[in-house]
Amino acid sequence: MSMQSLNQLVARSIIDPGVVQAFHAGKIGEVLAELEFSPEMRADLVDLRAQTWAEFAVLAYRAVRTAEQPVRRIELPSPAEGLLPDVSRSDEQQAA
Amino acid sequence: MIQTTAEERQWFLRNLARGLADYLGVVEPPVPVEQLLEHPPSLFDEDLGVVNMYSHLWDATFARTPAQRGSIFVRIDLPEKERRFSLARETLTALVTSRHGRALGLPALLLATLKECAEYFARHLLAPEPLVEAYRSRGGDLDAFGAAFELPANIAALRWEDQVRPA
Repeated sequence: MSMQSLNQLVARSIIDPGVVQAFHAGKIGEVLAELEFSPEMRADLVDLRAQTWAEFAVLAYRAVRTAEQPVRRIELPSPAEGLLPDVSRSDEQQAA
Repeated sequence: MIQTTAEERQWFLRNLARGLADYLGVVEPPVPVEQLLEHPPSLFDEDLGVVNMYSHLWDATFARTPAQRGSIFVRIDLPEKERRFSLARETLTALVTSRHGRALGLPALLLATLKECAEYFARHLLAPEPLVEAYRSRGGDLDAFGAAFELPANIAALRWEDQVRPA
C-alpha cells in the first residue's frame, strides 16, 4: 500500500504545485498524512533529507521498496539434525 | 543530486506519465496526447504549444522563445502514430525545462539521460500501465497492441517488453 501511495503522490506532483510547495516549506508530512502510509513509514519519509522534490521521491522509493521486500529467513538446519540418528535407530531395534 | 539507477528513473517517469493520464481522465486507449498539449494543466500553459513545420531534419523538437514560451515543433507530414509518439517524447523536455519542472528538480534527475528518459516516458504516457494491464487481462496481445494504443509498431514492441515492478 505504501508504494501505491507513493506512486499517487509522485503522479500528483506533476500537476499539483501544492506537493512541491509543501516539500520546500518542510511540510511534506502533512501531505503524506493524506495518504495511506503507516505511521512508521511516514516518520521515516519525513526524516529524509533531499535538496529537491525529485531527489526526495527517489529516496522515498528506496525506503518504501526496502520496507516492502519480504524478509528473507535464514534457514539453518536444526541443531538436532544429524545427531544420534544411528544410536536412536539401534535403540529402536533393541526395543523391538 | 544523488546517483540514481535507470530503474529508479523509470519508476519516476512512469508516475509522471500516470499523473498526466489522470489529469486527462483517460480510461481507455488511445491516450489523447494532442489534447494534453492543447489543454495542458495550467502549470504548463506557457510550455506545451504545438507548431506544425515542414522539415526533413527531425520528426519533432522542443524549443523555447527568448520569452521562454515553449513549443513542440513537429513535422507536418508525419504519420499519425509517429506524430503521437514524437509529441509525447518531446513533452518530457517541455516538462523538465518548465518552471514547475525546475521547481520539482527534474533537470538534475533527468537531463543527463534525457533521450532515453524521453522515449521511456513517451511509451508510458501513450500506454499507461493500468491501461496496459487491463488490455493484457482481457487477453490482448502484441499483434493488436499498437493499433489499440495508436503506437508505431517498433514502439509498441518496446512498450510491450517494458518490465514494470508491481506496485
